[in-house]
Amino acid sequence: MASITLRDLHKTFDTQPVIRGVDLTIADREFVVFVGPSGCGKSTMLRLIAGLEEASAGSIVVGDRDVTGLPAAERGLAMVFQSYALYPHKTVAENIAFPLKVTRKSQAEVDAAVQRAADVLRLGELLHRRPKALSGGQRQRVAIGRSIVRDPAAFLFDEPLSNLDAALRVQMRVEIARLHRSLNATMIYVTHDQVEAMTLADRIVVFSAGRVEQVGPPLELYRSPANLFVATFLGSPQMNILDCRPADGASSVALGNGAVVSTARPTVTGTEPARLGIRPEHVDLAGPDEGPDVVAGVVGVAERLGSDTFLHVDIDAVGTVVLRADGDCAAAEGARVGLRFRPPQVHLFDADERAVTAVA
Amino acid sequence: MTATAGRVWCGALGVVYGLVWGFVTGLIGGVALALASGLAVRPSLDAAMLGGAAAGLAIVFRGPEGRSPPFLAAVGLLALVVMIGLTGGAPLALPLDQAPLSQTVTLLAIAAGLVVALHQCLAPLTRGAVNRHRIEHALIALFRSLGFVLFTVIVVLPFYVMVMTSLKNQQLLLANPLDYSIDLSIGAAELFRSYVELFTDYRFGQFLLTSTIVSVGTVLITLAFAVPGAYAVARMRFRGRALTARGILLIYMVPAIVLVVPLFAVFSQLGLRNSLIGLLIVYPATTLPVALYMLQGYFRGLPFELEEAGQMDGYSRPAVIWRITLPLSLPALATVALYVFMIAWNEFLFAFMFLDDVDSFTLSRGLVSLNSSEVPRQHLMAGAVVATLPVLVIFLWAERFLVKGLTAGSVKG
Repeated sequence: MASITLRDLHKTFDTQPVIRGVDLTIADREFVVFVGPSGCGKSTMLRLIAGLEEASAGSIVVGDRDVTGLPAAERGLAMVFQSYALYPHKTVAENIAFPLKVTRKSQAEVDAAVQRAADVLRLGELLHRRPKALSGGQRQRVAIGRSIVRDPAAFLFDEPLSNLDAALRVQMRVEIARLHRSLNATMIYVTHDQVEAMTLADRIVVFSAGRVEQVGPPLELYRSPANLFVATFLGSPQMNILDCRPADGASSVALGNGAVVSTARPTVTGTEPARLGIRPEHVDLAGPDEGPDVVAGVVGVAERLGSDTFLHVDIDAVGTVVLRADGDCAAAEGARVGLRFRPPQVHLFDADERAVTAVA
Repeated sequence: MTATAGRVWCGALGVVYGLVWGFVTGLIGGVALALASGLAVRPSLDAAMLGGAAAGLAIVFRGPEGRSPPFLAAVGLLALVVMIGLTGGAPLALPLDQAPLSQTVTLLAIAAGLVVALHQCLAPLTRGAVNRHRIEHALIALFRSLGFVLFTVIVVLPFYVMVMTSLKNQQLLLANPLDYSIDLSIGAAELFRSYVELFTDYRFGQFLLTSTIVSVGTVLITLAFAVPGAYAVARMRFRGRALTARGILLIYMVPAIVLVVPLFAVFSQLGLRNSLIGLLIVYPATTLPVALYMLQGYFRGLPFELEEAGQMDGYSRPAVIWRITLPLSLPALATVALYVFMIAWNEFLFAFMFLDDVDSFTLSRGLVSLNSSEVPRQHLMAGAVVATLPVLVIFLWAERFLVKGLTAGSVKG
């Protein structure tokens, strides 16, 4: 097991910059998840670390070894591909044993290692089958089995669950979390699924357009996004973003209809808020004329999910605000309602989309 | 479609199908009898077509449940009666008392073939239940079976003539050149005399060996260049890759006949004429473009994640190619090897130009040397059989490698 350090990493395809300078240190035994929209460079990052792509500039250090110039085979890392990439002409046992064949271990050692991996991943019954006789989840487990036999310095997962159906994805997610705990290994995991990111990660790295937007533990990113991109990328339904202008007082803003909303979060001095962000679960339902801190609107759509009801409330000159109410909320479509934003969870962003409010 | 229109369609298709199959079965039956017996057979095709039309009408207006074997046998008899009646008792232009057994067998075979073909092709059509869908089905059935019969005849007929001629002797061939029947009673030694003489008097054993060396050598050399070349074009990123990929086939645009004269001059000066080395230079050069093209197409189709997985598993790129790419490319490699082998084995132009010394003859070159007035035809045919058989055997053997779906289960589900 080893830490991984990236220093000022760049990658350019032809003339198109894909990674524009990434500095990141991944601690030993840490589970780091790379998230971002498609095309943000997160998979390229993983392939750079793996050695499947060559860095245009910068360096990659695994443990205390600079591996920037080394081919993938000599980096001592293991990778699980989105497409599984099992060798179709080999049985499950041969697939898992393949990384050991190159190490010239004795057949007995290889067999023992395969058996251990099969036990961990519950593949014992399937060892003599070929990949085409396996289900998607079984194939993914074989791919993971192939990666663990070699005791790699770190595991790289490239969207490993994207090809599975929803139920299996939940199950495999738990298995990967369990695997991380039992192997106690450094893992880098790429996904575009924020649920996977939130549940699996020790730390999340949010990428956008080839740059790191923010790094931190999942809840920290969720509660204190550093910019508008991170704020809207994490969370579903996503954070409401409303245009605003500064009102009297450092922590009060006026919305488009003149309503004044204040935040209880400390603000950075010398900045000017231009957008207000608030998550659906931090908006409370009130009577339309209940007080000065209530913004009135009309329910446009009510999405009733059973456990929750998401109300889309249209507010004149402000826009639509989504709020999470109880599953048995009675507010009907077309009803006039009032919204109360919880001050400790009101985020403000400046015109450059950077957070004005810091951690509450 | 109204019931009347349906009946008209049914009747028209029954007649047309009957005419077509009457013609085909009559022709094939007559030619087969002529080739097998040497009799002066001339099948009356118009009578066969009318017999077929009668059979077609009878089948198409019978419900599907009524098309039982006894009914079909009766239809066959009806067709035979029409044929014999219309030709005044000589449907094959022979009196029925001449070779009665052969004629009877042939006529029964014609009738059986006719009825089976009509039964198959008219199966979608039943009385009163005709629609466009069923007519399309019937048309597909017709063209499929006609194609099948046509290709079978094209393949079998020359082969039959070749084999039968090679088993005859000079007197029989002179007596009746069109008689392809053979007399098994003369014994194996006499039957295969042409083959024995071919190997003893005409050095065909040596030609066979030369051809084998040249063909196998060409396959090995071609693959040795085509595999890395195709892999590079399919997988590596380098300057001029697209040009290389497209340029490969451009080489094939130059006809061999244009190359042969300058090559002849060069090879004469280099002393490469009459040498297998010369052929082993020219043959791979002519087969490489297509080999490269076929292989690069296949390599592109292999999921590249497999190779990346191999690299992540600790293997160098050459090791990944050897252990993963090539085993998965077995169908393509077998196809290319087979194709190259056949090209090299059958190649004639360069062999004819470059080889004058009988010591260095390949089979095709040796075969042509037989084609002179002094060498009897049965030897030529025996030589042709000797040249054909190895390719046939190899093809049947290699077919097992041409399986599809080797990469099933590798990526996704």
